[in-house]
Parts: sequence; structure tokens; C-alpha cells
Amino acid sequence: MLSLEGAHYAYLGKYPALDDVSLSIDRGEAVLLLGPNGGGKSTLLKVLAGLVFPDAGVFTAFGQPVTEDALEDEQFNEAFRSRLGVVFQNTEAQLFSASVRDEISFGPLNMGLDQDEVRQRTDDLCALFGLADLVDRAPYQLSGGQKKRVAIASVLVMNPEVVLFDEPTAALDPETQAWFLELMVELHAAGKTIVVATHDQQTIDRLPARGIVLGPDHRLENSSATPT
Amino acid sequence: MISMDRPASRAETDHGTGDAPTGVSRAAPEWLVRPQVGLCPCGCIGRRSRAGFLARTIDGLADVTRQAVFADEIGSRAGLLQRLDPRTKLLGLVVLLVTASFVHQVVLLAALYLLSLVLAAASAVPIGGFLKRVWLTIPLFTAFVVLPATTNLITPGEVVVPLGTWFGHPVGLTLQGLTGAVLLVSRVAVSVSLALLVTVTTSWPRLLEALRSLRIPRMFVTVGAMAYRYVFVLVEVVTDRYTARVARTVRRERAKAGRSFVVASAGALFGRAHQLSGEVHDAMIARGYVGECRTLDPPSFQLADATAAAGLVLIVVSVLLAGRALAG
Repeated sequence: MLSLEGAHYAYLGKYPALDDVSLSIDRGEAVLLLGPNGGGKSTLLKVLAGLVFPDAGVFTAFGQPVTEDALEDEQFNEAFRSRLGVVFQNTEAQLFSASVRDEISFGPLNMGLDQDEVRQRTDDLCALFGLADLVDRAPYQLSGGQKKRVAIASVLVMNPEVVLFDEPTAALDPETQAWFLELMVELHAAGKTIVVATHDQQTIDRLPARGIVLGPDHRLENSSATPT
Repeated sequence: MISMDRPASRAETDHGTGDAPTGVSRAAPEWLVRPQVGLCPCGCIGRRSRAGFLARTIDGLADVTRQAVFADEIGSRAGLLQRLDPRTKLLGLVVLLVTASFVHQVVLLAALYLLSLVLAAASAVPIGGFLKRVWLTIPLFTAFVVLPATTNLITPGEVVVPLGTWFGHPVGLTLQGLTGAVLLVSRVAVSVSLALLVTVTTSWPRLLEALRSLRIPRMFVTVGAMAYRYVFVLVEVVTDRYTARVARTVRRERAKAGRSFVVASAGALFGRAHQLSGEVHDAMIARGYVGECRTLDPPSFQLADATAAAGLVLIVVSVLLAGRALAG
């Protein structure tokens, strides 16, 4: 479903983030991206999300090469963005709308879903994530954990086939963390492809997933069926 | 579906129950665990969606960071100006700027400009980029000021390029107006080149330290330091926010939606900047900051600085004497 071959990427052309990274992720698979800080996990997720493009190497998603040029094609952009969602590490950056309701409904409205369906999905996820009392608040006024929940809800509301999570449990309290991990397990069981970049031991222990380790040299160290 | 009657999962048996927190619904909605058909087939149809004004503006903002990183790199290269104490460079800049403002001959300004190019080459500053940065800004900003003054409407004199008539009066560019315009553009070019040369060959902390040692008020220097540091933080916030938006923008959006995003972002950014300034100031005070920027290895005057100062005096005296001779 997602395939990366020999990817290199350097920020500002001089700070390497990925070096000769090749990997393949199957439909319905759960993958944990592990490794030290600065190893390139977030960059790898951005490449898989079609937000940054490797300086060298090929990224293919849903059977099509993903390039800056390909994503300028209206149909391919629609197809790719509606199938793949990404929750960023920096929650602050992900929330750009004037209210929680606007934030969560942004994606499905953009997909062209009808108003009733969008309203229903927004209400469902506000209830699921305990945001019902916050729908009219500005996202930047919320606490760290609340922002994180809004960020996750704003991606899941689009019901993508593939969900990329960058440190999804950071800023969540232990109770919400445990509940959210169960939700991820459930989404995976429902057939969604899930990729999680994390340091969190609970996530590593609880999510039955293949582990991929990016080393400090920005290269893939190993790929195992059970993460260590 | 997460439900009470499902079999115990690994999570529950090993680490806990995964109970929903207070205020949180326990069950994922049915539509979320049902596969959703993608909007359209994954393939290109050839209808292109080009980057709009918003995307280009955000790219421009990101370029600010790239340029700053590049300037830092030039500042750490082994070059003529990099070897000098920042205070020498700042004083030299002020002296040369004052000298340029006293010069009224284009040929002398051209000589000073040539000097800036020689210094740039000797300081490992890429000449192409240096010329581009100077000459892309000068025509834009000075043209608005200079162009009207080249006509006989503002500067009377000998009309050398007739442009037509206005209310029955002949209008054209005058020799005096054109000479004044060339003089002004040359002076601006020299000033911008010299200032750029000092800033790209000196790291920002060193420059601030030099400003303080030259008795520039502490508040001014501190505000400059904070602004420089947090411009990048805020640029990063804006570009990250835009990236996150792109990730959820499925269909081509209208210009109005882009403008709404800019307005909402500006408001949120203002709030964030205000909050950040308070947090940063608290963090600085907590680590003993009392308004003074300090760096390791403070600069000291060397033989190179004395040589540069002597060279500077020689250049300034020569330029002023030549100016007097040409005028006389």
C-alpha cells in the first residue's frame, strides 16, 4: 500500500533526516516507528503523508508514485488526501481553525460530504473524545491534552484508510492514553492501516504492530514483527 | 467496537482496562470502523492545481529561515571580514555610510561599491547571491521615490527625454533629475551593500554584543535579539500550520478560503506570540537574565582590526579628497 525505496532527505539541503530508507507497509498493517530523537521519524511520517518529498528515492502510495508534481493533479490529490490522514507531533501547528467545531469539520467539508453527515461525524467524535463542552472554544485556548484530542478527532473524522500518528499519546493523561490505545487497536482491527511514531512504552507494549527502527544515522536499523 | 462484552484484549490483561475517561464516549461510531470508499480512483487525470498566492507566500516565509541559515554559514567561513572584531566592522560601516552620504560624484560611489564587491569576494560571500539581494531591493524601493523627481515637474532643467504634454505643458526627463536619480540609487546601493556585508559576515549574537559595547541602549538590543530569535519560531508555527492544513485539504480550495485561513492564522499567531513572549521572558529571568547578552569568547581587538582601521581611514580620506578635487 505504501512503499519507499532508497529515500534520502536533508532539511535546508544540509541537515540529513533520512538516509537510504526503504520500507513497505501493507494494507491493514500496524507499524511502530521507533528510534532516538532526531533520527528522522517525524520526517519519515511527513514523507509518507506526501508533505515533504525525498531528495532522492521513490515513494509510492496506493500503487501510484507520490511526487510534488503528481499531487498537483486534482484527482490524485483528492484520492491521496482522502485516503491518508496524519496527526502531527506539534499539536499547536495542527489546529488552525477558529473553533473546535470548525477544526473537526474542516476535513469532511473539504471532502464534499453533505452538511448533515459532517454534523453527525463531528458530534460523534466530540462525544468520543470528550469535547462536547468545548466545541465553540478556540483551539489555542485549550489545554495540551484537549488540543491533542481535537487534533486526533480532526483527522479521524475523515475516516481515512491509513492513519499516521506522530507521538499521539504525548500530552494525554494516563487514563486517556489507555483509552486511546484501545481505540487504535480497534481501528486496526477494523482494517485501517496505522503507522505510529513513538517513544511511549505503553504504545509499544499494547499495539500489536511491526517495529521499524530509525537509527541516529537516519538509516533503517531493522524491521521486526514484534517491536523490542 | 469497544464494548463491555468483548473478549479481554492484550491491553486489558497486561496493563489495564482501557476504560474511557470521564466525559468520553466509550464506543467508536459505526462509520469510523466501516471502510470508506475513497473519493476517486488513485490516478492522475491531467487537471492541474497550481500553488496559489497563499502557498507562494508561505514558501517565501520558509525561505527566510533558509537565508538565515545560509547567512550564519557565511559568518563562520574563513574570510577577511570574518577575522575582524564585530565592533571594528560596525564602526567601519558607520564611517563608510557617513562618507557615502557626503559624496556627490557617481564615480566615487561606484568606487565604494566596487570596494564592497572586493570585500565580499575576500570574505567568501557568494557574489551572485550578494548582487541579487542588493539589486532586487534597490530598484523596487527607490524607483517609487526617484522616478517622479526625474521629470521637469519636480526637477526643473534641460529636458533630455520628452514624454509628452500635461495640461499644455511639455513634460520630460531632465538631465538634472536623471543625474540626481543615479546619484541616489548609487548611494543606496553602496549603503545596502556595506550593511549586508557586515550582517552576513557576523553572527547575530556577536553583532548584538558589539551593539551593546558601542553603547546602543540595552532595550533596543534586547528587543532586536528577541525579534530575531522568535521570527523563526513564528515562521515555523505558520509553515507547520499551513502544512497541517494541506494534509487535510482534499479538494482545490477557493481564494476566499485561503484568505479566511490567513485572517484566522494572524489572530491565532498574535495570541500565540503574546503568550510566548511572556513565557520566554519568565524563562530568561529564571536563569539569571538581567538584560545583558553574554557570549563565550568575547571579541577582542587584534592586529587585523588595527590594520583594517588604518585602511579605512586611508580610504575615507582618499574619497573625500577626490570628491573635493572633482567638485573643484
